[in-house]
Amino acid sequence: MLQMSWLIPLFPLLSFILLLLFRKSKSESTAWIGVLLTGLSLVMSVGVCLAVWQGEGIKTEGTWFQIGERAITMGFEVNPLNALMLVIVSLVSFLVHLYSKGYMHGDERFGVFFAYLGLFSFAMLGLVLSPNLLQLYMFWELVGLGSFLLIGFYYFKPEAKAAAKKAFVMTRIGDVGLFIGMVLLFWQVGSFEYDEIFATVKNGDISDGMLTLTALCIFVGAVGKSGQLPLHTWLPDAMEGPTPVSALIHAATMVAAGVYLVAAMYPLFQASEAALTVVAVVGGLTAIFAASIGLMQKDIKRVLAYSTVSQLGYMMLALGASGYVAGIFHLTTHAFFKALLFLAAGSVIHAVHTQNIEEMGGLWKKLRLTGPLFLIGALAISGVPLLSGFFSKDEILASTYADGKYGLFWLAVIAAFMTAFYMFRLFFLVFTGEARQEKKDGQKDVHESPSVMTFPMIVLGVLAVVAGYLNTTWFGTFLSDYLARGPVELPHGDHHGPVWIPLVATLASLLGIGLAYLIYQRGTLSRDWITRSFPGLSDVIYNKWYIDEGYDQTVVKGTTGLSKLGALFDRYVVEGLVTAVTTGVQRLGRIGSRLQNGQVQSYGTAAIFGIVILLLIVALTGGYFS
Amino acid sequence: MSSVPLAAYLMLALILFCIGLFGALTKRNAVIVLISIELMLNAVNINLVAFAKYSINPGMTGQIFSLFTITVAAAEAAVGLAILIALYRNRQTVNVDEMDTMKR
Amino acid sequence: MTGEMIAFFLLALTAITGGVLLINLTNVVHMVVALIFTFIAIAGIYITLSAEFVAVVQVLIYSGAITIIMLFGIMLTRHQEKEKRAPRLKMMLTGLAIGLFFLIMYGKIKDLNFGQQDAGLHIDNTKKIGVELYSHYVIPFELTSVLLLVALIGSIILAKREDDEKEAKK
Repeated sequence: MLQMSWLIPLFPLLSFILLLLFRKSKSESTAWIGVLLTGLSLVMSVGVCLAVWQGEGIKTEGTWFQIGERAITMGFEVNPLNALMLVIVSLVSFLVHLYSKGYMHGDERFGVFFAYLGLFSFAMLGLVLSPNLLQLYMFWELVGLGSFLLIGFYYFKPEAKAAAKKAFVMTRIGDVGLFIGMVLLFWQVGSFEYDEIFATVKNGDISDGMLTLTALCIFVGAVGKSGQLPLHTWLPDAMEGPTPVSALIHAATMVAAGVYLVAAMYPLFQASEAALTVVAVVGGLTAIFAASIGLMQKDIKRVLAYSTVSQLGYMMLALGASGYVAGIFHLTTHAFFKALLFLAAGSVIHAVHTQNIEEMGGLWKKLRLTGPLFLIGALAISGVPLLSGFFSKDEILASTYADGKYGLFWLAVIAAFMTAFYMFRLFFLVFTGEARQEKKDGQKDVHESPSVMTFPMIVLGVLAVVAGYLNTTWFGTFLSDYLARGPVELPHGDHHGPVWIPLVATLASLLGIGLAYLIYQRGTLSRDWITRSFPGLSDVIYNKWYIDEGYDQTVVKGTTGLSKLGALFDRYVVEGLVTAVTTGVQRLGRIGSRLQNGQVQSYGTAAIFGIVILLLIVALTGGYFS
Repeated sequence: MSSVPLAAYLMLALILFCIGLFGALTKRNAVIVLISIELMLNAVNINLVAFAKYSINPGMTGQIFSLFTITVAAAEAAVGLAILIALYRNRQTVNVDEMDTMKR
Repeated sequence: MTGEMIAFFLLALTAITGGVLLINLTNVVHMVVALIFTFIAIAGIYITLSAEFVAVVQVLIYSGAITIIMLFGIMLTRHQEKEKRAPRLKMMLTGLAIGLFFLIMYGKIKDLNFGQQDAGLHIDNTKKIGVELYSHYVIPFELTSVLLLVALIGSIILAKREDDEKEAKK
């Protein structure tokens, strides 16, 4: 089974190629190609994962080309970490394919959408299987391309176009960081191989400063892809893409690639205390910061997007606080419940044709399946006990506390409270109360989505509940035992801190839910009492801390100014030079053509000039006359 | 002993030659251009005759050569005028500026 | 100052004046008339150079024949009242080239003197020329007659061609 694991990414690639060939086909049964092939990937991934669970991983490589004495290799590697990622990615990808069959029904570019999905899945699976940084980087960029294509899928909408561009450019900033880090590592180690890099790091052959620098550069790449502060602004905008895309790319897989990268390069980070601290601080700040923005958003998908950013922050925080298992654990559970939430949100949008939560309401009775599933997702992400989010979040909080980062610990607790609050604000606004949407003429009644859409949600719903039992103190720490067999040496020590931590976390989430219930369901508290009490603060939060505006004012304006300078330089200096050359040649030609006017006298004059010059030479050099 | 030096004759010839050359290159009337060329030939003739008298090896040769030159010049004038008239028939002008068939 | 010197200066002055007038006058006929002075003055110069026969030929051919041909040419074609000057730039360029040419040549010939002269050239000048032409130079002489014949026939054909074509068309 393991020997064949290189086939896993090739199935979606095949799907991409086939669907590109069939893209003109009007029949929507082409979707089954994608579903079937990703299904095959899923089956193989599960097989591989089980094989790794029982035995060893595998690594196969061949030399791609040789630079001097250094060989650049290509191949694939399966270890506990990426086997787990394979399962997550192919599972979510498979479910999203299935869901899209219903969601994209009737779209003109139905086939193309599935082709893009295939391309993205291929890239993501390839990224996970890469045994070295160079190969990872290539798939990393391919993933970015897939994301760009899918965000800009509705390319006729200007917002979608802008969002696609923004996502591409913002992640590019991170990619440059990753690239620099990669090159620095190659310079220091002489190889892109994970194993060799880790060996060199372990031997202490790299100076501490360089180690920190490379780790930070690679972390910049992760920041870009995972939408961490301050490069997070593209992720909420990326919600312009179709909702299944948001579920696949911007909840479960691509944004997790950043976390995966940090996890895969974890020995490098472990070697540098400073880098780990930076990771933790960035993660913690992102968690609370994005959660605060999520409190005020009105677009259902944007709330989920900020929630994603916030949860990714949690994962980074966990990794930074030596909670390797906690980070991966949360990555896994988050992939399930966030994909579930997005798919449920997609189902809601599919039903009511709006994304504004203030225009929704009272959908509980109408969407008999979506409602409870959304509730499960919301409970899971809020960290209500016995659901998956509770366990992974608890793990993160425990490891943060155990690592001695108390400030970040309390930040995370507050973020957990906020998460619970905004998730249930969303839930109450969308599913309870009166229907606030105005019924337009000829619009169909709100109805439940078809079964191709509900089935993936049910699967994810089940997983969102049970995924937490992968790693609990009560039933056994399967996941950490499993991950411990990977190349990463897990930090030692008991991360299951004081008993009161789960209590605090539970309390925070219940408090959030309760507050949301009081405000949005019972109406005991006025909806805008916070807004009224802190007008300035809420304004700032509503406008997403003015980050976008800040970028507009500084980076965008600066770049524009620079470009204008460049344009001026180009127009007046470069173009001037060019014009000078061309006009010079033109003038010369004009003079020549004036001489060449067909008149004997002009030719005679030229001849006389020639004779005079010859005579001058003779006269000056002496010659015949002297 | 003549008191007029050879250089004076040569100078006269040079001046006339330059005048003829200038006329041939700048005048627009084809007839005048032809006349200017005659003037240049004349200047050369002066040189020939002058060298026939003042030179290391004086003799009749220079004078006879100038006679040939005059003959050729007369023939040239006749042919030139014939060409001019043929051109004039074709183009209704004797203006050299408009005779730019070579350009086309 | 000898008489020869005075004669030379007068003749040279006349010749150059004629040339300058050729350049500066605007009426075509006036130009040709100015040139007659030059030609006659050059004939005088020939006499001072002891070449009577050439001088007479000069008067006959140039002042007589060629000038008359030119006048015919002028009469047979149409002319503007006043000749337009060439463009200024062209005049200046040509003037510059010729000026340079003049300066170079002047620098080279101003001191040229071979210090010898044949004093006997004017004695029996015409007879000497005749003897030379019919003895030493007889082949060029005959060739010249062929040349003249060719020029005669060529001129006629050139000037007549158009009419022939018209007749052929008819």
